[in-house]
Formats: sequence, structure tokens, C-alpha cells
Amino acid sequence: MITGAMNKTQSKCMPTAIRMSIINMLFQSNASHLGSNMSVVEILISIYESIDCTKIINNEKERSRVLISKGHCAAATYAVLAHYGILEMSRLKSYHQEASLLTGHVNHLVEGIEHSTGALGHGINVAVGCALGLQGRGWDEAKVFAVLGDGELQEGSIWEAMMLICHLNLFNMITLVDNNKISSITNTSEVINMDPLKNRFEGFGLDVYEVNGHRVSEITEAIKTISRKRNPGIILCNTIKGKDIPFAENQPIWHYRSLDQENYDIAIEYLTSQQGGNQ
Amino acid sequence: MRSVIIDALFEKMSADKDIFFLNADMGINLVERFEQHFPSRYLNVGIAEQNLISVSSGLANVGYRPFAYTISNFIIHRCFEQIRNDICLHKYPVTLIGTSTGFDNSPLGPTHHIVDDWGPLRSFPGIDIYCPSSVIYASTLIEKVIENSRPAYIRIPKGNFESRKNSLDIDLVKGSNNETLIITYGGLVEECLRLQNEDPDISVLIINKLHPLPQEELATLFSNYKLIITLEDHFALNGLYSSICEIIASQNLKVRIKKFAPKDYMPVVGKTPKFFLNKFGVDIKTLRPDQLSF
Repeated sequence: MITGAMNKTQSKCMPTAIRMSIINMLFQSNASHLGSNMSVVEILISIYESIDCTKIINNEKERSRVLISKGHCAAATYAVLAHYGILEMSRLKSYHQEASLLTGHVNHLVEGIEHSTGALGHGINVAVGCALGLQGRGWDEAKVFAVLGDGELQEGSIWEAMMLICHLNLFNMITLVDNNKISSITNTSEVINMDPLKNRFEGFGLDVYEVNGHRVSEITEAIKTISRKRNPGIILCNTIKGKDIPFAENQPIWHYRSLDQENYDIAIEYLTSQQGGNQ
Repeated sequence: MRSVIIDALFEKMSADKDIFFLNADMGINLVERFEQHFPSRYLNVGIAEQNLISVSSGLANVGYRPFAYTISNFIIHRCFEQIRNDICLHKYPVTLIGTSTGFDNSPLGPTHHIVDDWGPLRSFPGIDIYCPSSVIYASTLIEKVIENSRPAYIRIPKGNFESRKNSLDIDLVKGSNNETLIITYGGLVEECLRLQNEDPDISVLIINKLHPLPQEELATLFSNYKLIITLEDHFALNGLYSSICEIIASQNLKVRIKKFAPKDYMPVVGKTPKFFLNKFGVDIKTLRPDQLSF
């Protein structure tokens, strides 16, 4: 049920293949966070398309660091790591299973996971330390990515990180916000309306790139631009929570609900129809 | 005491290029030389303690050995989750340096009274907690935490600590008989030693390393005494009293124990720590043997 590892030349059909992996992982384990896992897929693909995965596989000191600040997108993260050959594909079936390392929030004991998160408002701050440390070591080729949710922006510690990123000119750090517009239990704008979000980041001094978060080419282009300009940048990825799962798109309940057989069949049927590429 | 530890750290930074010193906009006339001499391994993160801890974690990820410095109440209480998730869970060798203990900041009010810092912290697996009460011990502490290479918290008391001249984690000042053993740490040590001068029968056990305690060594020692008294500037519930009770219970020892510790927050001005310690009966006046009763 979980497909084999892909290389970068196969990336056109990768988002759907990864969503298939995720839906299987969630269904087999009766796990939740479907919406957040589906919205972040292309963001994660874009990151791993932009870095040297071999250095991550070899755990080299000079490797780029990927900090999953929204740690509840663990299924998507493990699936992407498997599709890039960083994690063994066969391990995905152990997601959420008894005694498995593949916990429901990302676990640093799993290959490719830099840092365990799950409490929000930690990953980006740790990323700041990584970025500062990599600069200090002189490992200039390494980048640091922090993946945040838009609901996570309500955590005050996030803004402590933003201030420091700009103050220290951490140009090797790239922050990506999975702006799926749904927080934990309802629409983000109803919880704390932060529109226009772009202006808030700009106010801190970040270069802001607003992209369609389901277009890998747009995200990777923004990553390249930030890397070239050597000025701290943030990519505001506009996404759909529950993307490509017809009954779950934009539905807050799918942060918590797990799949039954009927929903699983519908999801698989739809994803199968999508195979062949959605770029 | 603070300058002894900071001096040792400063000295070590020349030789050990992995040390990174961070603070949260604290330490005037103390931290400037770090910035001057080691600009690439010094960072003032601003008044943002959560960031202080998590950024330290990230630096540890890249192979640095961070020392994070600010006032004890800020570095522990505000950052409980950061210490738990970003430091202890990952077993990173980050050292938290907190200045002030107990009622060191007595007139500043209860937000600055440090009576509940290390107790909650000791529930985190793998963290070492120190509260030096001798200058000699303090001068060896940086070397010690570097060698141990795991999460650590150094809780620095204010005052003069000249009486004891060794670098032992657990320092026994033996009395002339085996009736009463007073166990204490930090800012209360000198006072207990004064009491012992008046009453040489009493033994005083000074704890410089609060956690973890050497269970078997202490159990052997406790079994020699009839009465143990814990005296501390921290709530007893999860502080020294609790730690000692755990040893007594787990080793099934037949020894009586009595505690002297703060019992609550006290939102009034006290010009010196003595004001609060007296209010809670944590002083040698209360401790005179003829006034002890069960």
C-alpha cells in the first residue's frame, strides 16, 4: 500500500504518491491530523528538492537542517523522508504503532528528523540556534528550514525568533509558513485575525514571498531567491487544509478526526484518479 | 560566587572553542568581556528567555556547548517547556546558569523569590543541578559540567562562602556525636556552620550538587544518625526535604526527619533574606537543639 522510494526526477507525481502514503499511514493507525499533513506536502517536497539529502542520510555535520516546528505533521514528514530515501519506506507502516519510533509528532530518534517537536513555538527558535551555529562554524552551504503552521504563529515565542532572525541577519535560514488558514479548532482568522500576515513579517524586517503552497515550483523558486539575496526570508505558503482529500478540505474537524473505511475508500479513489501529476 | 563561575567560564572559552555564552540581557559589568573577546561565541538574545533556551538547543545541535545565563526565576519558570523539550528530551549539554536563590532578591517581591526552581526541574530525566556554597567548589564547576556533557543547571546563591575549602559534591562537617545531622545548601550553609561552632555535637551536611544525590552513600551516612534536619530556601515539597525523604523511604531507614523551608509566596517587602527566612522559621534560632521538638 505504501509506494516505493522515488528520486528527484520522479517528483512530478510525488505529491499524490506522498498523500497516498499519508492516508495509508493515518488509516492503518487510526490517527488524526489529516488536514495538517495534507496541506504541508508540497512545502516539504520543496525543501528536500532544495538541499543535499545525501548529507542528511550520512548525518554530516555540514548538512542542512530541517526543523518541523508544526510537529503534528509527522506523518507527512516521515512520508516525505521515505520518498527521498532518507527513511526506509518499510518503516512508514509502523507509524503510530506500539513501540515504534514513528510517533504522532516528529521524533528526533527517526532518521532525518533534527528535533522533536509537538509543543508549538519551539522549532523555529531551535532553527535560529542552528542557523547561528552553522554560520559560526563557517558551514555556509548549509541552510536551515523551519516549517510553521499559521495557527502556530499565535505562540509568542515565534516572534522572539523572528526578531532575532532579522537582528542577526540569519540569511542561511528560510522559514516557511503552511498558511492553511485553520488553527486547532476553527478558522485562524476567527481565533486571532492576523491579516494581512505578510505585513507583520515585513514589519519585522523579513523578505516575504507569498506563494501557492501547492506548487513546488513556486516554493523552490522562492527558496532560491532567498538563498541568492542573503537576506532573511519567509515564504508564506497559501495552502488548503486537507488538500486533495475531498471531504476534508477546509474542514477544521479533520485536525482531529480519524478515517473510517468509507472515508478511506473515498480518499484512495480520489488520489488514484489524481495520479499522474498535479504540478 | 557569581564572578567565580563566570571567571572560570571566561577562562575556559579561550581553550574550548565549542563554548558559546548566551544571556537574556542580563549581567551588566559581567558579560561585556565575553562579547569583546569572543564575539562569534557570544549572544545577548534580548529579554526573550524562551528563545534563550531554544536557541541554545539549536547551537547544541550544531555541536556547540552553550551556557545560558540570566536570573534563576526567569531561566527556569518561564522556560519550563523549552528546558524539557528542547534540552532534556534531546540530552543536549546545555548549562543553565541562574543567578540568585531563595530570597536573595528579597525586596523585589515574590516574582523574584526563587523558592520553587530546582524542585520541579529535578523531575526531568538526565539533568544535573548544582548550588555551590564554597568558592573552591564553584571554581571547579564549569570544568565539571563540561566533563559530564549533559543538561545542567547551576543555581548561584549570593553571599560570602569562605568557610569550606574543597570541591566535594557532598561535604560532611562532622560533629562530635551522631545525634543530629543538619542537611542544607546554598545561602544557608554559612549560618549552619555558625550554629555548629556554637554546638559542636551537630553534624552539617552541605549539598553542592542537589541532583541527583548519591543514594547509597547518603543512606549509609543517614543510618548513623537519630535525627535529620533539612534546612533550605526552597519549598520542601519537591526540594531537599523531599529528596532526602525519598532516600530514607527507598532504603527503609529508621531515622527521624524534620524540615525547615518556606511554605508559601510572601508578597511583602523584606529588606534582607533573613526577614523571610525568619517568617518561615528557617533560621538557626529555630534550629537550636533545645528548641527542637517532635
